Amino acid sequence: MATLFLDILTTSSMLFIVAAGLMIILGVMKLINFAHGAFLTVGGYSAHVVTDAGFNAWLTIPAAALVGFVLGIVVERVILRPLYDRPLDAILATWGLGIVIAQVITFIFGRGVQFAESPISGTADLFDISYSSWRLILVLVAVVLGAALTALLYFTRFGLNARAVIMNENLARGLGIDSVKVRALTFGLGAALACAAGALITPLLSIDPNMGLPWLVNSFMLVLVSGVAIPGLALASLLLGGAQVLVSTFVSPIIGGITIVVLAAVILRIKPQGLSRG
Amino acid sequence: MADITSQTPQRSLSPYWTTAIAAALALAVVLTAPLYLDIYLTNVLIRALFLGVLALTVDLVWGYTGILTFGQSAFFGIGAYACALVFTHWGFGPGWFVAALVIGILAAGLIAWLVGLLSFYHGASPLYSSIMTLALPIVLVQIIFSGGRFTGSSSGLSGFPTYYWSINTWFIIAGVLLVTVASLAWLFVRSDFGRILIAIRENEDRCAYLGIPVSAIKTGLFVVCGAIGSIAGFGYAAFTNVVAPELAGFLLGTESLVWVALGGRATLIGPILGAIGIDVTSSYLSGSLPFLWKFIVGVAFVVVIILLPNGIASLVTGAWRRYKTRGKDETAAHRHRSNVTLVPAKSRRLEENLSDDKAPILIEALTCRYGSLTVLDGIEVEGRRGELLSIVGPNGAGKTTLMRCISNGGERTSGEVVIAGEKIGRRSPQKIVELGVGRSFQNTSLFDSLTVGDCLRLARYRIDGASYLERTERVALPEPALEILKATGLGRQLGLETRYLSHGMKRGLELAMVLATEPRVLLLDEPTAGLTKPERTAIGDVLTRLVEDYGLCVFLIEHDLDFVREISNRIVVLHQGKMLLDGSVEEVVSSDLVKAVYSGQETETPA
Repeated sequence: MATLFLDILTTSSMLFIVAAGLMIILGVMKLINFAHGAFLTVGGYSAHVVTDAGFNAWLTIPAAALVGFVLGIVVERVILRPLYDRPLDAILATWGLGIVIAQVITFIFGRGVQFAESPISGTADLFDISYSSWRLILVLVAVVLGAALTALLYFTRFGLNARAVIMNENLARGLGIDSVKVRALTFGLGAALACAAGALITPLLSIDPNMGLPWLVNSFMLVLVSGVAIPGLALASLLLGGAQVLVSTFVSPIIGGITIVVLAAVILRIKPQGLSRG
Repeated sequence: MADITSQTPQRSLSPYWTTAIAAALALAVVLTAPLYLDIYLTNVLIRALFLGVLALTVDLVWGYTGILTFGQSAFFGIGAYACALVFTHWGFGPGWFVAALVIGILAAGLIAWLVGLLSFYHGASPLYSSIMTLALPIVLVQIIFSGGRFTGSSSGLSGFPTYYWSINTWFIIAGVLLVTVASLAWLFVRSDFGRILIAIRENEDRCAYLGIPVSAIKTGLFVVCGAIGSIAGFGYAAFTNVVAPELAGFLLGTESLVWVALGGRATLIGPILGAIGIDVTSSYLSGSLPFLWKFIVGVAFVVVIILLPNGIASLVTGAWRRYKTRGKDETAAHRHRSNVTLVPAKSRRLEENLSDDKAPILIEALTCRYGSLTVLDGIEVEGRRGELLSIVGPNGAGKTTLMRCISNGGERTSGEVVIAGEKIGRRSPQKIVELGVGRSFQNTSLFDSLTVGDCLRLARYRIDGASYLERTERVALPEPALEILKATGLGRQLGLETRYLSHGMKRGLELAMVLATEPRVLLLDEPTAGLTKPERTAIGDVLTRLVEDYGLCVFLIEHDLDFVREISNRIVVLHQGKMLLDGSVEEVVSSDLVKAVYSGQETETPA
């Protein structure tokens, strides 16, 4: 019972961490970033490079975030800016970018499976059972991340500008907010979060050029169900992540793999705006 | 300006003949190709031809109708698995062959229908539909995985009995299938119905308000394309003798988007060439340069999306168009030869109007709230036959919201609207058009790349239907619509794409389109905004005629109070969502309350 409870909690936390970057980008830029999976992969490989070079495994996370931020800024400038008035095309372009990134990674690292060292290994004793310490740390990370993003959106100048752009971009521009800069920073931030998430989940998974792909669709669904808001995303991760764990445990792992997709499709049919809106 | 309809139309070959000739040429290529191709290439091409059929369906769904679909591969996979499962587990022979094909088609059609029901409802965001098409292959692949021995799980099924015909025979089968589907699709997208698909892509909402059953059409198209995809998948599996979950997967679905985007959306030929070109090249290069090739495709895809939104084919077609139109001015290039003739329609509804004695429209206690904001509060209006009722009020009074609540059953919070004795309930806009409500919009929302004639035919879809394979030349319009076309000179511009019309003409066309749906109640949202004085007078005259001669009930939102005074029978004043006054022109004009509202003074709103 305790294991099941911890499984739900930690799976939901992982989903929250992975989906956060996608949500920030969708919220501000109204853009579904199909390269999100590829960004996760880049994060995984960054972690691999850092630990392979003998650095402390804790450094993997800031390193991945930095790589993601730079990558995001470049991608925004080169690929996305010309497509702002063609949103569906922008989705396709990010998908193409995902293909390119996966191929570049294959060039450099080959198709094989790689590993990254975990900052903390082993198990911790909790509720009379021993449980993976890293999974438990991810719960903490998810909580901190949620709080930090909320603080960023509601207590900083950037957050105020970003919220203005979310609500009414034309008006925001009229008020002198540089919406191009807001978009660029947002994409950089979203990519940084995605790469950091990739580094955070790698201790639990193996690294390969397509490791991000399975996460892409689930994050996607969670973000839409969340109604693009941080509390909504937390709720969606708990609900759907919990359902996934329950179905995987009691029915079959394969059906568990599509639980999020199916439930999300149903929820969105009933509440097209997602959980956090009317 | 040349009078286009009176010109003797230059007789060219009918589209049937041109298509037939092109198809015959293509078939000749298919029949002779195996003679000079080596076996490896033939083998590769057969698979590519089946994938070309899949690309065609993606082009119809995405390129023409604008539904971004990631899931067309699911139908391909269903057809492939129908073939493999039946031949592996039940039996093989001509009877089983047909049975498996039919099972594949029915299963694909059924699933497409279910997905269509879920994802195409009025008000569904295009993103949601795309998500559903994305979820479909993912779910399907997991089902295949969980099928164990029956579906072969992740390794798929192979070595099932099939027809081991010669490779040339298979090539011809695949080629004939592709040419047939392509020819039918070619006629289909150029037919009246094809124009409707384009109209849905360009302005779905406007289509709904013209009474076009958008959701049903999208679902129907999805079902047909699913069935065709299933046939292609069936052929692919029967030929290759192998099926694997990848055939139904979302990677193949997105790959088909790459073919279509690279080849050129909404060109049919482009996607076929894209599919064949990419698939054949990757077969050759995947041995020597597997990663480099995928990398090149990825980069090309991104570059084409950014720089050539119409695909590589647009380089060729663009050059051809420039060559054809050299020396002509811009609008002439977009003036299509038009064979459209306008004929008067027997408009039953308009005649009924004069005899029917039920109130055309009755609004009862209509309230509309967004969260805590009350936009309309307890509106009670009865619109009578042959009455022009103007709705006036300052900005934000709720005028446009009132129009919206009448024309879309899903908008209001409570209350009821009764059209000619029938409650609208929660009906969608296209159902309300059926009851006899026509609505024009505040901003001119037309279909940019359609011609004037196409737009008019579109508006008649609800009543006259549309041909699936032909362009009809006659468009039947009710008398008042014809009058407007004549008065505005639009009748001579039937071949012009609407984006080249002047603002006044667009307004005229919009009104003519709404009238073509034969409404009892006409909702006009600032029909004269931005028009010149003479144009305004012309519209005023038309409205007066509609009311007096045809017995329509017209609701008019208008800011120009002089214009309102001239043509209205009755005026309703809205202020902050409440009805302030409902009375004759004199009553309203002389009311101190109205003056106070318009001059912005503080007033006590009467309870």
